[in-house]
Amino acid sequence: MVNPVLLIAVPLGLAFSIPLFGFISRRIEKYIPVAGMLFNLVLSIILVPKVLQSPIVISIGGFRPPFCINLVAGTVGVFLSVVIAAMGFLVSIYSLSYIKEGATEKYHMLFLLLLTGATGVVLTGDIFNLFVFYEILCISSYALVAYPGSREGIEAGVKYLIQGALGSSLVLIAIALIYGQFGTLNMADIARNISSIHSMNIFLPFVLLIGGLGIEAAIFPLNAWLPDAHSSAPSSISAILSGIAIKIGVYAIARMVFTVFGISDTFLFLVTLGLITLLVGELSAFKQQNIKRMLAYSSIGQIGLIVFALGIATPGGVAGGLFQILSHALSKGLLFLAVGYMIYRTGSMEISSLAGMGKRMPFTSLAFTVGAFSLVGLPPFIGFSSKFMVIKAAMAKGSAIFVVLAALVLFAAIIEGAYFFRVVQIIYFKKSDNALKREEAPPTAIIPIAILVTLIIVIGIYPNFLIGLLNSAGSEFLNRVQYIRGVLG
Amino acid sequence: MRKFLAIVLLLILAVGIAQSIGKIPFGTSKTKVGRYYIDNGVEETGATNIVTSVVVNYRGFDTLGEVTVLFVAALGLGAVLALKKKKQENDELERASLVLTSGCKFLFPFILLFGSYIFIHGHLTPGGGFQGGAVIASAFLLIYLGCRERKINENGAKAIESLSGLLFVVIGLIGLAVGGYFLLNYLPKGIPNTLFSAGIIPIIYIAIGFKVGAELTGIIDNLMEAED
Repeated sequence: MVNPVLLIAVPLGLAFSIPLFGFISRRIEKYIPVAGMLFNLVLSIILVPKVLQSPIVISIGGFRPPFCINLVAGTVGVFLSVVIAAMGFLVSIYSLSYIKEGATEKYHMLFLLLLTGATGVVLTGDIFNLFVFYEILCISSYALVAYPGSREGIEAGVKYLIQGALGSSLVLIAIALIYGQFGTLNMADIARNISSIHSMNIFLPFVLLIGGLGIEAAIFPLNAWLPDAHSSAPSSISAILSGIAIKIGVYAIARMVFTVFGISDTFLFLVTLGLITLLVGELSAFKQQNIKRMLAYSSIGQIGLIVFALGIATPGGVAGGLFQILSHALSKGLLFLAVGYMIYRTGSMEISSLAGMGKRMPFTSLAFTVGAFSLVGLPPFIGFSSKFMVIKAAMAKGSAIFVVLAALVLFAAIIEGAYFFRVVQIIYFKKSDNALKREEAPPTAIIPIAILVTLIIVIGIYPNFLIGLLNSAGSEFLNRVQYIRGVLG
Repeated sequence: MRKFLAIVLLLILAVGIAQSIGKIPFGTSKTKVGRYYIDNGVEETGATNIVTSVVVNYRGFDTLGEVTVLFVAALGLGAVLALKKKKQENDELERASLVLTSGCKFLFPFILLFGSYIFIHGHLTPGGGFQGGAVIASAFLLIYLGCRERKINENGAKAIESLSGLLFVVIGLIGLAVGGYFLLNYLPKGIPNTLFSAGIIPIIYIAIGFKVGAELTGIIDNLMEAED
């Protein structure tokens, strides 16, 4: 019997032991995150067929819920933990040679702990435990954003820290209010009793939770920290922040809305909020001259799309949202990883300085193009399948308003296309003044980039083997009654 | 005008919040989980300090997370300050007076003793690993302030931090291997109110005490060395 708690305990233990490995040899420590994430990836994939039959509920400490903390490894949780582990694994390979300066030992520990925190959030069934793992995730992100030690890095890190800490405090207050009313922290137990309390009394904790978690998820208008943070971080960290960290915020919001509170009145609000975030993000990205800022704004837009899809709140819509989480994680991760070495070679983040990259780093440029096309939603890449699923779910709602909203989503995709094509055009067709010498990225970067390109194309062509899993996750996410029964019996 | 608007907005918010939470009967017997801990805590965990039985046993997983949060915060501070460390700090600090240095050296072992007492008796009396660790760190702070030429052994602190964190996780994993539950209290619970009782709780609290002490000391060390 494979226990999902190992997905949290083993990486945590490995992260603690990195300094001990460092005493043996300083060269081992950077391989520990690779090992930890490989372990998580294998274990999560082993868990997939089991959770498809029924969610695994694990009590910690041997007491029965709600008196102990429990983990709920359902399809949604395990799916997300596969995404986290896969991205973590690939990016930790990339970090092997990308991260050379600074306190590298601390970088690898923080990196592994960030991913452990993310895994904890998606697997836990306890609202305070969720907060604890969420804090691990957030605090390691603040530190990693400031890791390069540059002025902008520290400024961005502090900005992120202040806004993030505000968000966390709101979440904590909300949890205190919830505990005051229900006397329990178990999400299933709260969900079971939520209807016994006047809706006015849960309004405030609900708003505080959505607001607090919304900061980490970078939903408009709580996204002010993101462009700075994602652009000043090392590219490997940008890939994780864009690919994983903000999604965890969205997952937590969705878990609160769907499972804990089960308030269907907020769905239209979420859809609208998602759409505004999408349009604001894409329009801001369009104006950027700095490549990493452009990608960061585009992440805001994509988060909007994910919130939009989850807000549709049909199994198809939620499945589409989860698919979009995967597709954005792979595509944006790929883009940041590719751009990381381009910036390293040119020494500048200006889009115009990427001219001539098509000849200088042909493979990396090709990978960038694949990522960009996938993000825009061109077939045969994964972005097409996921966006198609979202649009299909929106249309299936049948109401006129959703048709208009879906049209706006497509409009946002056109803006997205415009700015990504501009970059691709500069990479390939703009003449560069510098002498062109082929300088490809090192193998530790090429391997994860190549794997991401392969995944994007393969899943894009054969999305069917995922659709079943996604649909099952979608209906599980919306099924509160089954969740409560699964945990409390 | 802006101030006026801000006040009006705040008032609206305040009324809204009061409307929302004004009628909640906080603290009534609805706290069924809390009631359960009070009624069954001693029997199920062997710790007479109910807070400890909740923190380390019922919600031990949270505590593992919280230890990690502190660890991450200390690490992050270290990572950011690492780039700003002084190259050489032989700028000859003025030595403190004999009274101050001897006083600090005299108090140091007693503070350590008190800190250890707090975390070793965490399952019997108020206090525990976090508090004891903080007391221990305060002893090191005293040394840093009083005897400025002294420094801790950074590698030693790092090793203690790692080993105690690892011990916590390993205790949990042994529980998983022995009884099928992570962090299961698998050791004999003993007689309540004695030092050797409550199974794994004192061991975890000792690990936490060492870890928190080493972490906070590391933070102090980092901040002391940072350039201003």
